[in-house]
Amino acid sequence: MTSTGVDAALARAREAGHLLRARSAEAVQDALADVLDAWSARDSPWQKALVEALPDAAGFSPAVVREGLARGLAPFTGAALRAVVRSELDGGAATGFETTAVVLAGAIPMPTLLAVVAPLALRSPVLAKPSAHDPVTALLIARSLAERDPLLGACVEVVDVRGDDEASMAALCEADCVVANGSDAAVAALAARAQPLGAGASGARRFVGYGHRFSLALLGPGATRGESLLRAAEGLALDIALWDQLGCLSPVSVHAVDPEPRAADRVAEALADALARAETRWPRGRVDTAVAAAIARERAEAEMRAAAGRGPVAVHASSGTAWTVVREADAALRPAPLNRFARVHPAADVDACLDALRADAAHLAAVAIAGFGTAGAPLAAELAGLGASRVCAPGTLQSPPLAWHRGNVGVLAPLARWTDIEL
Amino acid sequence: MSADPARVALDAELLAWMREEPWRDDEERFERLALALFAFQLAHCEPYARFCAGRGATPDRVASWREIPAVPTGAFKEMALRSFPAARERHVFRTSGTSAGRRGELHLDTLALYEASLLPTFRHFVLPELAPGERARIRVLAPAPAEAPDSSLSHLFGCAVDALGDSGSGFDVRGGALQLDALLPRLERAAAESVPMTICGTAFAFVHLLDALSALGAKLVLAPGSHVMETGGFKGRSRELPRAALYAAIEEGLGIPPERVVNQYGMTELATSFYDSVLAEPDRPRRKLGPPWARVRVIDPETGADAAPGTAGVISIVDLANTGSVLALETADLGRTVEDGFEVIGREPGAESRGCSIAADEMLAP
Repeated sequence: MTSTGVDAALARAREAGHLLRARSAEAVQDALADVLDAWSARDSPWQKALVEALPDAAGFSPAVVREGLARGLAPFTGAALRAVVRSELDGGAATGFETTAVVLAGAIPMPTLLAVVAPLALRSPVLAKPSAHDPVTALLIARSLAERDPLLGACVEVVDVRGDDEASMAALCEADCVVANGSDAAVAALAARAQPLGAGASGARRFVGYGHRFSLALLGPGATRGESLLRAAEGLALDIALWDQLGCLSPVSVHAVDPEPRAADRVAEALADALARAETRWPRGRVDTAVAAAIARERAEAEMRAAAGRGPVAVHASSGTAWTVVREADAALRPAPLNRFARVHPAADVDACLDALRADAAHLAAVAIAGFGTAGAPLAAELAGLGASRVCAPGTLQSPPLAWHRGNVGVLAPLARWTDIEL
Repeated sequence: MSADPARVALDAELLAWMREEPWRDDEERFERLALALFAFQLAHCEPYARFCAGRGATPDRVASWREIPAVPTGAFKEMALRSFPAARERHVFRTSGTSAGRRGELHLDTLALYEASLLPTFRHFVLPELAPGERARIRVLAPAPAEAPDSSLSHLFGCAVDALGDSGSGFDVRGGALQLDALLPRLERAAAESVPMTICGTAFAFVHLLDALSALGAKLVLAPGSHVMETGGFKGRSRELPRAALYAAIEEGLGIPPERVVNQYGMTELATSFYDSVLAEPDRPRRKLGPPWARVRVIDPETGADAAPGTAGVISIVDLANTGSVLALETADLGRTVEDGFEVIGREPGAESRGCSIAADEMLAP
C-alpha cells in the first residue's frame, strides 16, 4: 500500500468513526465483548484459522500456535473487557481519539487482538499496520469484528505498508493517536514522526510507545530442589517454549536465588530436561541462518568461558539449535539470542540478584517467582519497584490477564481523552 | 626465555611458504601444518585445549583441518588466548570496541609471521600490477601505527606503506580527523601528474572524503591504474551507505570504477586478511580470496557441517599464520561460497542485549 492508500484508509476510518461514536459506548463494548468471547472460546473458529495460517506466515510450529492461543486467549473474555472498562473508565468522561493508528510488532496474536480492540472500546477507529512477521492476525481480527458487526469491521483498516516506506509511515502518523510497538529505536523513530501537536491544543495527537521489554524468573530456595524444582522447571519450559521465546513475556533468564552452590546447576539441569520434553510436545519453529548462527555462537562462547575456568559455566543443549540452557557463573545478564535459549544465573540472595538486574530494569516486563515462601510478597514489591509490570508464577507468563498493565500503564486509559465536567 | 622448538619449526616452515612466489595451493602441506599447529596449540593454550576436549576433539581424533574446533571471535573479548608464555608477549592488537562492551585482543609474541602473512596478501590482491622493486603511491585514510599502536588495521597499512609505498605515500587521518586540507591537494596533484594512487581506508573514512568532495563541488579523476581498498563497516561514524552506493560514489568523486575497488575482509583476531578478487583475477566473479595458508569454511550453524554450496552459513576460518593464538576462528559473519572463494552477506543479528522479544520483529524492516 502506498501513502495515498494510507490517506484513503485514514479517511474511511474517520468516516466510520463518526458512525461508531453515534452509538453508545456500552453497545460498542458489548459487541467487542462478544468478539472476544468468540476468540477465547475453547472451540473458537478464529483460533483454528490462526493455527492453520500462522505457522506458515510466522514460522511457529502448529503445536506452539495451538497451545499458545489456548492459554493466551483464555483470559481474553468479554467479561474481562467489561471489567477493564469499569476499572479504567468509570468515574470520568473518557473518549477515544478520532482515529488511532497501531503499529504492530512480533507475531504473537494476543497483543495484536488487544491493540485493535482497545481503541474500538473507546469508539476510536483503528488503522493497524501488521508486523512484517505476521501478515494474518490483524486481517483475521478485522474479519471477526465485521462478522459480529459490519460497522466495527469498517472501523478497522489493515494497512499493509513497509516500515521503511517513509511516506506511508508519515501518512499513518497523521492519525490522532499513534500506538507503536517495536524496538526502542523503532519506537523512538515513530515518536519523532508522531510529534504531539502541543499540549492543550485542540485535537492534540497522542503517542503511546511500547519498546524493548524482557521477562525473567527468580527461583528461591523452596524451588531449587526436589519436586518443587521440577514443577517450576516444567512451568518455565512452557513459558519459554510458547511463541519460541519471542514475546516480551518470555523469560530469557532464570535466577537461582539460593546460597547453596549447586542450586544453579540443579535448576539448569531441570530446565534443560523440561525444555527437551517441551520440544517433543511443542516443537520450535523454523529459524533463519542468522538466528541459528547467533545461538551457536553464544553456546560456543559459553563453552570457551567454561574452558577458561571462568567459574562453573555449563552448556546443556539439543543437538541442533532447538533449545539451549547455559548455566552461568555469575548473576550478570548476558545477551539473549531468544528462540529457546535460556541462561541460569546463580545469586546468593535476593539483594545480589536484584543488584544484577538493576541496570536493565527499565526494560523489565514480567517476573515469574517461586520458592520464596513468605518472602514472595515483599520480593514482588521490590520487583515492582524495579519496574516489573507483572509478577506471577512459573507456567503462567504467557497467559496474562487482559487487564495486565503492560508497560506499567492501563489497557484503555493511555488511549483515552478525559474531560471533567463539573456542572 | 627462548621459544619452543616445535613452534620455531612451525613458524619457519610457514615463513618459507609465505615467501614462495608464486603462491602454491598445497592441500597436503596445509593439512599437515594445520594438524601440527592444532596439536601444538592444544599443548600450549589451556582454554583452547579444554574447549576442544569438551567437543571430543583431540589430536588423535582430529584427522583433517576441517575438524579443528573453531573459537568464536567473542571469546577474544573474554580471555587472552595465547599459545606462548605470557612473559613472551610482544604486542597486543585490540578490536575497535565500537560494538559495545569489551574489546577483543590478539596477543602476539612475534610480529614476524603476522607481517609475513599480511604483506604478500595485500600486494597480491591490492597491488597485483606492481612490478618487482616498484613502489606505489599509497594514501591511507586511517591513523598511522604510531597513533594507533593497538590497531591491526593501522599496522597493516603501516607495513604496506613502508614496504610498498613511495615517498609520496602516507597517512591522512590525524587526531581522529581526516586531514582534508592536505589530502585534497595531494590527490589533485597526483591526478594532474597522472600518478596512479592506491587509496586505502575504512568505509566511513571514504564517506567523509566523498562528502567533503561533494560539498566542494569537486570531482577528481585519478590516474588510470589507481585503486581503492576499503574495509569495515560504518560503526555509526558516518552516514551508512550500501556497498554498491559507496562504490558508485567513489567512481563519481574519485574517478575510480567499481572494478578497481577492493573490499578487505579481515579482523583483529586474525593475522591473515581476505580481499575481493577483482584486481587479482579481473576476468572472474568478484569474491573473497586469501593466501594458501588460510582457508575458509561456510558452516551450517544447525549441523556444524559445511553449508551447501551457495547457501548462507557462518564464516569460519583456519589461519596458519595465527601460530601464537588459535588457528581456527568462527566469525560473527554470514557468508556463502562463490566458486573457490566466498562472499560476506552480513553479520549475525546483534543478539539483543538482555533479550527482547519485540526486537526480534525489527519493526521497521520491510
